[in-house]
Amino acid sequence: MMPNYKLKYFNFRGRAELARLVFAVAEVEYEDIRFAVEDWPKIKPTTPFGQAPVLEVDGKPLAQSSAIARYLGKEYGLAGKTNWEQAQVDMIMDTMEDILTPMRAIHFCKDEQQKAELQKKYQEETLPNYLKGLETFLCGNNGGDGYFVGSELTLADLTFMHYTGQVEVFVPNPLAKFPKLQALRERVEELPKIAAWIAKRPKTLR
Amino acid sequence: MAHSYKLRYFNLQGRAELARLVFAAAGVEYEDVRYEFADWPKHKASTPFGQIPVLEVDGKPMAQSNAIARYLAREFGLAGKTAWDQGQVDMLVETMMDIGAPVPKIRQCTDEDEKAKLKKSFAEEHLPHYMEAIQKILEENREGKGFLVGDELTLADLAFMCGQDWLKLAMDNPLEKYPKLQEYVDRLAAIPKMAEWLKKRPKSEL
Repeated sequence: MMPNYKLKYFNFRGRAELARLVFAVAEVEYEDIRFAVEDWPKIKPTTPFGQAPVLEVDGKPLAQSSAIARYLGKEYGLAGKTNWEQAQVDMIMDTMEDILTPMRAIHFCKDEQQKAELQKKYQEETLPNYLKGLETFLCGNNGGDGYFVGSELTLADLTFMHYTGQVEVFVPNPLAKFPKLQALRERVEELPKIAAWIAKRPKTLR
Repeated sequence: MAHSYKLRYFNLQGRAELARLVFAAAGVEYEDVRYEFADWPKHKASTPFGQIPVLEVDGKPMAQSNAIARYLAREFGLAGKTAWDQGQVDMLVETMMDIGAPVPKIRQCTDEDEKAKLKKSFAEEHLPHYMEAIQKILEENREGKGFLVGDELTLADLAFMCGQDWLKLAMDNPLEKYPKLQEYVDRLAAIPKMAEWLKKRPKSEL
């Protein structure tokens, strides 16, 4: 019997979108709860660690966006087929997190000059270095014309697609110099179930 | 057939210690390679993303400290017994990262007044928020006399234990106000294979 799923987050893609993408690919029903920022203070104490997103599975809570994504990924065959593949998927997911973390820090920097310097370094060195590593990794699997791990879509590809969109909020055209990565992104976005979700999901800045 | 494992990192606990604890708890042999900082540049190119730790399993490389730790935990039965338990374990491992997140800024702060302010906020606001939640999770599982998830040692317990050393870089006694958590950590450290590793591991600054 299908579990009852409730995903609770703000009205952003942000840290809940990966779970929403897994639900979309797996065609699994869930309650996509999006609360207003003003309502958060009263919801916060009901969560395991005072953070969102939270996934409730038959009423039991699971916190931490990547733990949620991995849990759903494993339930619905998107986590990697063997232990080794799961670890490779994890590695790509964690690398995408490493790519996004400095961008968030720059975004919150108050000193305008420092912010500009950090942004420049990120755009010209940090980001391209990671993308080069990812493109090399991708090309090691099926010449780079398939997916990151194995022969099917996994969380690695979904995370890549979603986080690239997040980077794009700050850095225009991040994949311009990485044709295989760009092609993967498009390939994932054009998968029917994902394209359908992208078309119907609430439009938010991030 | 036994696999050959090589773990490559600096001569620090840092981001490799969780994997080392998994090897210790499982009683599995591995090559514990430790680079001096001066030697690191010549090894950098032989890693998937220019970072360490890297785990080589029969010569095949895997990067990202948590991907490595989770992989080893799954291999050796320390990841959680059910899919749900694994999700809870993941959640707690990720939460330890969140708890430790303010530490680098505190360590790098050179202004004594600012540093004191950051330390105060860490000890009085940031930490209690999480420690109270974790103590509650522990208490709800066998009244705090067992482990964080399920009935056996998992990666969640190792991550909590390992994380204490990191927190001590920002405050003297993180568990001072949490006697049940202190008792639990002491109990983990007394597990024979853990005690043996803690006694014999190289002493390092971090």
